[in-house]
Amino acid sequence: MKKLFTLFILISSLAGFSQAQKKADKATNQWKYEIECAGIGTDGTYLVKVWSYSKNGKIAITQAKKNAVHGIIFKGFSGGERGCNAQKPLTTNPNIESEKEEFFLSFFEEGGKYMKYVSESTDGNIDASDRMKVGKEYKIGVIVSVSKDALRKDLEAAGIIRSLSSGF
Amino acid sequence: MKKIVNIKKTLALFTIFFVSFAFSQAKKPTIMIVPSDVWCNTNGYMMEFDNQGTKVKIPNYKKVFQENMDIKTVISKINTLMAERGFPLKDMESAIKTLEAESAENNLTSSKTGAGIAESPIDKIKKVAKADIIIQLTWETKQVGPKKSVNFILQGIDSYTDKQIAAAQGTGAPSFSAEIPVLLEEAVLAHVDNFNAQLQKHFDDMFENGREIIVRIKKFNGWSGNLEKQYDGQDLSVIIEDWIAKNTVKGRFNTSDATENTMLFEQVRIPLYDSKNRATDARGFLRGLQDYLKNAPYSIPNKLTMKGLGQAVIILGEK
Repeated sequence: MKKLFTLFILISSLAGFSQAQKKADKATNQWKYEIECAGIGTDGTYLVKVWSYSKNGKIAITQAKKNAVHGIIFKGFSGGERGCNAQKPLTTNPNIESEKEEFFLSFFEEGGKYMKYVSESTDGNIDASDRMKVGKEYKIGVIVSVSKDALRKDLEAAGIIRSLSSGF
Repeated sequence: MKKIVNIKKTLALFTIFFVSFAFSQAKKPTIMIVPSDVWCNTNGYMMEFDNQGTKVKIPNYKKVFQENMDIKTVISKINTLMAERGFPLKDMESAIKTLEAESAENNLTSSKTGAGIAESPIDKIKKVAKADIIIQLTWETKQVGPKKSVNFILQGIDSYTDKQIAAAQGTGAPSFSAEIPVLLEEAVLAHVDNFNAQLQKHFDDMFENGREIIVRIKKFNGWSGNLEKQYDGQDLSVIIEDWIAKNTVKGRFNTSDATENTMLFEQVRIPLYDSKNRATDARGFLRGLQDYLKNAPYSIPNKLTMKGLGQAVIILGEK
């Protein structure tokens, strides 16, 4: 009986986690995240701070990586303090997300290719001021480093964005 | 049997046409970074000379590249980043050296009969380091107490239309410890992507609406005719205007000046490829007008000169 109960708890908690993950993915697709410059990254990278929303704090942190790549491709980001500049999105076509839906679905799926370009700068340590409770949800700010040169090159090779020298 | 041969021929022709279309590439503009006049002036890299009583200051680029290490850091950094994007830049320092070497070679070259290399005064004037797009570079170091910061400006100018096609500017974060080359490198990293995004927009516009060029029509003194001469009841200037309207992309151009001796057309949008599907430029485009005027009923001999990809002049009356 005890074993059955433990199994039930395990299954229901897994289901709850995957439900929360689905909700977080939906939030990403609905642009429900904020992204801003967090400093000048090393050559070929962007250093950004991503604010993600979720009822589950852990999901908000892991979703930050996905949101960072999503933001750099489609949204661009605002500047921060002096020296921290706003950047335009990698794509100039506002409809590219729906036009290449199939590509982006597999690109952003759990453990998808987006993970290749991203690393968490704070190694999971979130500053107390970057963790807020907004209503029933957490709003968590994570600093993420994205290899934007590699990301751009791969998107160019996949025909998603045009390269600067294409046509010449 | 004959039918099969015909189909094969059509198929081969179609393949040739398709392959040539698919692989034809537009003429790639050259880009060069040039230190701006204001940077040269504030850093003491100007030459002064007397132009008929008026003192004129011009930048001494050779001195800049021989003496300033910071500019080498910035140019080489931008060059590396642009090369990674498939757009290696023309290096101004090397262009100046090549011009000097070529000039020395021309002076020393002679044939067996003693003839030297022909060079008109206009050839001499045109021998300068040039590119289709000039990136003007300016920065200024600011110091507040022990803190240093860099104010950085990149301006991309189309050499022919004089239009600013891309720009990025801003002040970096103040630092106690970082040295100027480090601050400059940071500034380049912070601005080059926004600059390239605007450059990309300019190229996208060019592929959609054609290359923007400037066209000038002039006449030689010795020619008896002028641009008001009538052909079939129409002024020559109107005939030229009609040809340009017919041959530009969506008929887009502005007639900025028109007198009996000269005409100036700006914002002329020309197709990137000619009727044979070859990449074209201002000179290639105006060759059509040159032939049109040279042939009957106009029979006007004329001379076509060019300046890079985006400017060309037709001088009427003589070759």
